[in-house]
Amino acid sequence: MTMAATSHDTPVETAAPSTRRQPDRTYWLLAPGVLWMLLFLVAPILMMVYVSFWTQTTFKIEPTLTLKSWITFFSSDTYLGALWTTVRIWLIVLVSTLLVGYPAALFVGLFVKNKTLSTALLVLCVIPFWTSFLIRVLAWRPMLGKEGAINMILMKLGIVTQPIEVLLFSELSVIIGMTQIYCVFMVGPIAFMLGRIDPSVIEAAQDLGASFWRIFRTIILPLSMPGVVVGAIFVSVMVLGEFATSAALSGRKVNLLGNIIVTQVGSLKWAFAAVAGVVLTILMGAVVAALLRVVDLRKEL
Amino acid sequence: MNASGIKLGLGLYTTLFIVFLYGPLAVLAILSFQTGPEGGPQFPIIEWSTYWYKHLFGLTPPSRIAPLPIEQALVRSLALAVMTMIVSTVLGVTAAQAFRKRFRGSGVVFYLIVLGMMVPGVLVGLGMALVANTLGVDRHWWGTAFVLHVVYTFPFAFLVMLAIFNRFDPSVEEAAWSLGVTPARTFRKITFPLIFPGVLSAMLFAFTLSYDEFSRTLFASGRDLTLPLAIYGTFSVEVHPNVFAFGVLTTLFSFALLGTYAVLMGLSVRRAKRMAIQEEA
Repeated sequence: MTMAATSHDTPVETAAPSTRRQPDRTYWLLAPGVLWMLLFLVAPILMMVYVSFWTQTTFKIEPTLTLKSWITFFSSDTYLGALWTTVRIWLIVLVSTLLVGYPAALFVGLFVKNKTLSTALLVLCVIPFWTSFLIRVLAWRPMLGKEGAINMILMKLGIVTQPIEVLLFSELSVIIGMTQIYCVFMVGPIAFMLGRIDPSVIEAAQDLGASFWRIFRTIILPLSMPGVVVGAIFVSVMVLGEFATSAALSGRKVNLLGNIIVTQVGSLKWAFAAVAGVVLTILMGAVVAALLRVVDLRKEL
Repeated sequence: MNASGIKLGLGLYTTLFIVFLYGPLAVLAILSFQTGPEGGPQFPIIEWSTYWYKHLFGLTPPSRIAPLPIEQALVRSLALAVMTMIVSTVLGVTAAQAFRKRFRGSGVVFYLIVLGMMVPGVLVGLGMALVANTLGVDRHWWGTAFVLHVVYTFPFAFLVMLAIFNRFDPSVEEAAWSLGVTPARTFRKITFPLIFPGVLSAMLFAFTLSYDEFSRTLFASGRDLTLPLAIYGTFSVEVHPNVFAFGVLTTLFSFALLGTYAVLMGLSVRRAKRMAIQEEA
């Protein structure tokens, strides 16, 4: 399969002069991987775009091109609501991961001078990724539930007299869960960028009498921006493609575009699922392009 | 400037941050020792017991709580992870090997490969299901789901190998070639031992990512469940502590894997050092 597809752009082996042999070898080495990606990544995505214009009947889709699924999507409150929920949750989680992660990154990247200690702290942050993603999501249930750990502690301390019910199966629980799972993707890149700041720059500012706030605003924050952007890209791509956290923690109250796709596929509404998929792809592309506009990564890294 | 005060404050904050990362997992681990079958997934612990661990392995008398369908699922997940690991690592090594030479269109190829780890599972999974439907191909974990697992893990293997080849001194290979050793033998005797630590890391990445992957699998595997799909299935029903016990066990399994990796890595580093000493002597 591989050979047949690439033979037309690589000259036949016979009497190939030695100067031509090197590029040939490169193409042969690349062919399997590139072909795999074209067949199993690019083709499915193109198929999704194509099917979004197919005709949806009750249980089947037919390759008669129509805009009907698109019109249904943009005139339905459920779908538009899911789009709006996706954007809202994405923005909230993006801000919360940044706010929760930045101070920790500041400590690890800038204040811990000992290299071993800062590596150890980063490893400590990464270890939870070696447990199943779904288990980490599920772990929030006994934490946030009506009889969960947080309510129990709050009641023991006498802060509340009745358990707070809104903690679980609400938008809040989805946001808390996603913040915990994805904030490490903010901490890593930011700590990396902060670690590269030349300490003498900060010392010079201190010697000239700048306050910590001033140093933070004029030196630390601008120099850490590439890290923030890389982290934001990671978090955005993952949060926009989410459906498991909302399925586990919202009790079906939060429907993201990902959840719409899952339910539509479950009821064999392939064309609608494809429309939701294309909308999600466009949204994601726009977000990543906008983030890359903020900082020119090639120049900064 | 009050730097030590700020440092203390940030240090305390980082401690809290780590508690935030580990808290839910700790609570989950504690609750997995809840008594059964009447004990629920919440505090207080009525009585400490290993009931739910026995329940997982079918060692408890039958009760109203159905056992998790993990036995078959575990076999499938492991087989899928091993298949994915082998193919991804081979693809990653060959593609990275190609990138050692500059060639036209390398930028496009690079982004094409990296796209595999960026595109969310929902989208590729849906696309793959649509392709399979149109072609009339049945969806199976060893077919449609497997190729998507490779799409996802191959970029990680590729990036790891790219980093390894960047620090690789090509003159040792050239020396072998100039002595008339065939390229295949050079790769086996010279290149491969040198890049082995990287290959090991690529394998670890591919295995663990595939073992834990579920959004691609959800759409692209047919009726047969893999382990993550079995857990996903419990989301919509009442959760019992047996899921927590399973979470603890699968975490321990991952750590065992990480430990094996560390040991193999340590062995290969030590062997490299020994060889260096022999050369000097």
